[in-house]
Amino acid sequence: MNESLLFLIPLLPLTAAVLNMLFGMRLPRLVTETVAVSGVAAAFLLTLLFWGYADGEGTRATLGSWLAAAGVEVSFALHFDALAAAMTLMVTGVATLIHLYAVGYMHDEDDYARFFGLLNLFVFAMLTIVLADNLLLLFLGWEGVGLCSYGLIGFWYRQTENARAGTKAFLVTRVGDVFLAAALLWLFALTGTLEIAAINAQAAGLAPAVLTALTLLLLLGACGKSAQLPLMTWLADAMAGPTPVSALIHAATMVTAGVYLLCRLFPLVSLSPDGMAAIAVVGALTALYAATCALAQREIKRVLAYSTMSQVGYMFLAVGAGSVAGALFHLFTHAFFKAALFMAAGCVIHLAGGENNILRMGGLARRGPRELLWVFVAGALCLAGAPLTGGFFSKDAILLAAYTEGSPLFLALWGVALLTALLTAAYTFRLVYLVFAGTPRGAVDPHPLPWLMRWPLWPLVLCGLGGGLLNLPPLFGGGEWLTRRLGGLAGRAISATHDLEWALGALATGLVVLGWGLARWRYGRFRAGRDHRLGRWLLRGWGADALVEALLVRPFTAISRFCAIGCDRALVAATVDGIARQTSACGERLRLLTTGRVSTYLAAFLWGFLIMLGWFLLALVR
Amino acid sequence: MLASALFYLLAAATVAATLLCITRTNPVHAVIYLVHAFFDLALIFYLLGAPLVAAWEMIIYAGAIMVLFLFIIMMLELAPGGKPLEVDRQRWIPVLLLSLVTLGCTVVLIIQDPSAAASGAAYHASPREFGTALFDRYALGVQVVSFQLLFAAVGAYYVGKGEPRRRGGPSS
Amino acid sequence: MIVPFAHVLLFAALLFVMGLGCALARRNLIMILIGVEIMLNAAAVALVGGSAHWRQVDGQVFVVFLMAMTSAEVAISLAMVVYLRRRRGTLEADKFDGMHG
Repeated sequence: MNESLLFLIPLLPLTAAVLNMLFGMRLPRLVTETVAVSGVAAAFLLTLLFWGYADGEGTRATLGSWLAAAGVEVSFALHFDALAAAMTLMVTGVATLIHLYAVGYMHDEDDYARFFGLLNLFVFAMLTIVLADNLLLLFLGWEGVGLCSYGLIGFWYRQTENARAGTKAFLVTRVGDVFLAAALLWLFALTGTLEIAAINAQAAGLAPAVLTALTLLLLLGACGKSAQLPLMTWLADAMAGPTPVSALIHAATMVTAGVYLLCRLFPLVSLSPDGMAAIAVVGALTALYAATCALAQREIKRVLAYSTMSQVGYMFLAVGAGSVAGALFHLFTHAFFKAALFMAAGCVIHLAGGENNILRMGGLARRGPRELLWVFVAGALCLAGAPLTGGFFSKDAILLAAYTEGSPLFLALWGVALLTALLTAAYTFRLVYLVFAGTPRGAVDPHPLPWLMRWPLWPLVLCGLGGGLLNLPPLFGGGEWLTRRLGGLAGRAISATHDLEWALGALATGLVVLGWGLARWRYGRFRAGRDHRLGRWLLRGWGADALVEALLVRPFTAISRFCAIGCDRALVAATVDGIARQTSACGERLRLLTTGRVSTYLAAFLWGFLIMLGWFLLALVR
Repeated sequence: MLASALFYLLAAATVAATLLCITRTNPVHAVIYLVHAFFDLALIFYLLGAPLVAAWEMIIYAGAIMVLFLFIIMMLELAPGGKPLEVDRQRWIPVLLLSLVTLGCTVVLIIQDPSAAASGAAYHASPREFGTALFDRYALGVQVVSFQLLFAAVGAYYVGKGEPRRRGGPSS
Repeated sequence: MIVPFAHVLLFAALLFVMGLGCALARRNLIMILIGVEIMLNAAAVALVGGSAHWRQVDGQVFVVFLMAMTSAEVAISLAMVVYLRRRRGTLEADKFDGMHG
């Protein structure tokens, strides 16, 4: 088959998006929803169909030239290799399930055409990031996901907080995009090309300081989209969007785009030890920070948001430790179980009548449907890393990568990651107990949920539970399928003795049990107690928002106020107005000359005559 | 010798008459003084060797134009006299200054030209010479000026015609 | 020439300035017109003097044209004076300031 057909993978969701945006409101609702779902589902099927194309070096397909001037040659080109294929499959698969869920969830929404259009457009942009052959096309998708994220977070824009959350997300990720753009331009200046493969090949020839600087720039760009320190303040507020949006964008796809970028440019990034250390440090610290914050959150979706931030931090740690396979493994399992958790949270909110606050939930195990409990607990087990779940294997792979890296820094980071794992288990089971256990503290409306909100959860949960099979380590008899599939792209080969793996696995399991025990002890029979200062500080995300406000927003507002009022109004406008007024005043004074009387005009003649005489006299004198 | 003395005398008389003319309140008085000035000017013209021009100065200027002035003044019954000079102080001081300055500049310009100071033999243009020049060299000019007189006559008639009187009927 | 040409020109200048002053300073329309007449005559003096100085008759011919033109001009201006007097009832030049800005 013609390799240009690969372009159908991103273009089918785009077509669905355009159709829905243009005609969605005029078509029957079912048609719009079908178009939306089928766009993504078709992309998924095509990815399966073309799976073989990703073998070996992968397949390149070019649609046409985009820019060709002044030494810049960029074309619309895809590179379908193992990394891209795996990521595409995950994105389209999870997106299809989430679209089905969204059909049920947004059943009462009137603005469905805009919603599904944006959702499909987002999938298109994400696929552009994943499949792009050159950095400019990747950047196009990068900006596209940012735009769609803004549109979807602020979907219910009529409430100002939602619109503000969307704007905040857009602006913070934009800051990261600036760094990415800088890296792009610098790479182009250094290598003369924007193709990823060419850049990776030429990376070895660059100076170490340049490599470190480039890595840091790319890291900052990735931090923006993946909500890592210091650009993480937007993710918690982004929960203002509808739950399917949170599931798709802030669990499975957009936040992982940063990880994907670093994996794509891994040959370049891995050449800089300082850069790798920076990536790992950022990831580990963010993981710890987010886990502590998740312990104190009161809204169910905010807990999950901080949890996502923490898990993406793990992925960054994996990349920093040199294991692309480990990062991708965790990326996939996390996508499965986090999307399932978000969608289950959506069901919980639905049942609680729109209530978000977990302190006002409780007892849902008895009052709500059984399967919701199973799904949620399954997702929670994966998230906490309970033994033999997908989350266990992927997290263990990361911990192993960090431990075997060798340097003392990474040993310290490994310790941080262990602490974070404990906290992860703690907050996960805190969530489970507060929502499902105990006596109901709030109003529960036990109505049956629409089937579209229940059935898509199961494939995700099963993938999450069984996700370990993706990259089962030989310790458990597996063949590490993902690592083998990635081949040369997998990064550093992790080899460890069986004893070490057993020890680490046991340690992780012990932490999970400890975390669960702590949660049960504190929240098993929950009585709402006083909240203390530490809790409030963690609730506010260590005061990050206030810090950003004080450091950046207030000076910026002051500067813009100065420019607008001080400069523009006082100087420029006043000058222009002043000139106009003076001209007008001159005109007024000159007007006095036009008396309409003959004698005035005769006198004017005389004055002119006098000037001429004066001229002649002056000529004489000379 | 005599001619130059006469010239200066007549010049002084002309200036005096003109001065009196421009400072009269009664327009009739002003016109009369001006006529006197024109008489003096005619004589000056004759002294400068332009007898035909002198004659015409008397006939046309003093005889027709000034008479026309008098007609209009009397027809319009202007300024029965007795009223003070209708020039206010605010007006004639700047005008005076301006005029003096202009005069000063003109005088300086005139004096500094050396060729104007010389005086040659007297000149006298006979009517024959004049007529030849007028109708030989300046025939076109004569025609144009006659057109202009026609236009002036038509224009004066039209402007002075006045509005036609309405005859009865309902006013609209 | 009986007198230096400069003297004739000075005389003409004096007359001209006097006529100018009359035209500028007086408010009565008739007086303004009289000022114009004086100025025209001053020009005639200069022309005749020039004709005598350069011993050519052309200056005098031009004086004739000047007189013809003056007649035409006076005819129309006096007709207009009559008209204005009929319309406005006054001959004060300052009252006709419809073109004022």
